[in-house]
Amino acid sequence: MPKQKLNPLPAAAFQILLALASEDLHGYGIMRQVAEQTGGRMRLGPGTLYSSIQTLVEAKLIEETAAREDAKLGGERRRYYRLTSAGRKLARSEAERLADLLRVARSKKILRGEYV
Amino acid sequence: MSEKIYAWLLRLYPSRFREAFGEEALQLFRDRSRDETGFLLRLRLWTDLLSDLALSVPREYFRVQPGLASFSAHLRPEGVPSFFVFADESLGPGALLFGGLLSLAALVTFSVLLNHGVRYVPLSALIRQTQSLPKASSSPFDSSAPKTAKNPGEEANESKAPRQPGKAATPSQPSKGAVGGTRASVKLDATERRRIVAAAAANLERHYVDGESGRKMAAALRAHERNGDDDKSKDGAEFAALLTQQMREVSPDRHLTLDYFEAPLPPRSAAPTQEDFARYRETMKRQNCTFEKVEILQYNVGYLKLNSFPDVSVCQGTAEAAMASVNSADAIIFDLRDNRGGEPAMVSLMAAYLFDHPEYLYNPRENTTEQSWTHSPVPGNKLADKPVYVLTSGRTFSGAEQFCYDLKMLNRATLVGETTGGGAHSGVFHRIDDHFGMGIPETKAINPYSKADWAEVGVEPHVKVRADDALDTALGLAARKLPRK
Repeated sequence: MPKQKLNPLPAAAFQILLALASEDLHGYGIMRQVAEQTGGRMRLGPGTLYSSIQTLVEAKLIEETAAREDAKLGGERRRYYRLTSAGRKLARSEAERLADLLRVARSKKILRGEYV
Repeated sequence: MSEKIYAWLLRLYPSRFREAFGEEALQLFRDRSRDETGFLLRLRLWTDLLSDLALSVPREYFRVQPGLASFSAHLRPEGVPSFFVFADESLGPGALLFGGLLSLAALVTFSVLLNHGVRYVPLSALIRQTQSLPKASSSPFDSSAPKTAKNPGEEANESKAPRQPGKAATPSQPSKGAVGGTRASVKLDATERRRIVAAAAANLERHYVDGESGRKMAAALRAHERNGDDDKSKDGAEFAALLTQQMREVSPDRHLTLDYFEAPLPPRSAAPTQEDFARYRETMKRQNCTFEKVEILQYNVGYLKLNSFPDVSVCQGTAEAAMASVNSADAIIFDLRDNRGGEPAMVSLMAAYLFDHPEYLYNPRENTTEQSWTHSPVPGNKLADKPVYVLTSGRTFSGAEQFCYDLKMLNRATLVGETTGGGAHSGVFHRIDDHFGMGIPETKAINPYSKADWAEVGVEPHVKVRADDALDTALGLAARKLPRK
């Protein structure tokens, strides 16, 4: 079931994988990271965020780490999420798929700029 | 507060999701509302939350009930509706109770609305009862409801007409012939004029259907009087015409009149007594309820010569018998050339025979009520689809004109003869003194056809001929229309 849900990879799930690529984050951290890396275009609401997280956890692409406090946010203990190696691999293959797409777009003169 | 709202909204998610992430979702909400302050950011926060809710709640249910997601696959090609039972997550007793109460409340609300609010929407839109008036259906002999309306002008002129208490329902219409003939018999001075203006203004303020306009007109009358605009008129008729004009300058209402009467008006009319009623009943009996002729003419055309629309409580039987005796006719002629009007209820009773469904009869004299609809179809009646001709003359008046006007507007009859007298009588008569009185509209009837009715101008016939030739003309028309036998 989760496999089906992630093929093709939804935009929200891909963004979450990317957000977790550099560091472990809690839910709110993921939301802010995603907003930052999309220039504010994608603000994940709690429902979308946690249902994507649930799917990714079930597919073992990310995993929960021990709950701890966020020094900056204070007080409450929060669940943190970490990218698994499977998750990193999937994110990479998705990025490559997009890069292929970009190459096609550039060769068709739809998009200008450097080849990647 | 807002956190509570969001916590409540979270309950929309399936319990599995709530257990796993409910607390975290709330935490995220707290984080965001702490960081995002200010009106615009708050607004964005709530937009995000609500749109997120709308998208993710269904998705979560599809996740716990994969059957729902594949629901469309189960649809039979013919589109036959089918049911699925998801027994995994049973409803709690609270939910069942809430659902039960909600359905009960909806059922009660619906039936209450059905009974009170939305019955006959088009009809209730028309009905506008004014509480100050006696019911439209009250008999003119009902001593508890004194009739304010009298027609002194008519009584003064029509001394040869039998005294009909039924006419008590007919309010004032200036009879111009009588007034025009002998003018200047009552000399007016400033005191007299001031007295009449004061009385007229008071009447307007108290009785006019639209309070605001009534007050404006009263003020205008008083202002004209103060400014000396009335000083030139020395005789009653001229003065009455001037005041009428002054009122209509403020509110162009042709049903509003101030009239001068040469012959002294009878003292304030008391309610009709039992004796009046008995005398009326006797008169009607003697005159066959003013059905002068009920015949079948050549070409099997039914012919009714009716000289008034008498009171239904006395004449219903006679009217029904008259209609029954022409029931098999192929066309019908109503001769109203000598009909001076009468009761709207009788107009409605007669007109009912001409329709196979209830029709709205406009009557400027009464509030629009459920009584304004004919009681059609009449059982056993065969006239609903037969050609109808109505004979008119300049003497056709008041209620008879209502019959003509409504049948003409409903395209149900061909009117043959002369333009009618023009007595709409929608004003209730108020006596000022022995020589002056006012017709003041106190009711609001809805005219579905146009703003103007027949007040003062009469009803124009379709075929204009001299009244004396009307019967032959109508018979000719009927003969041409009917199939040759």
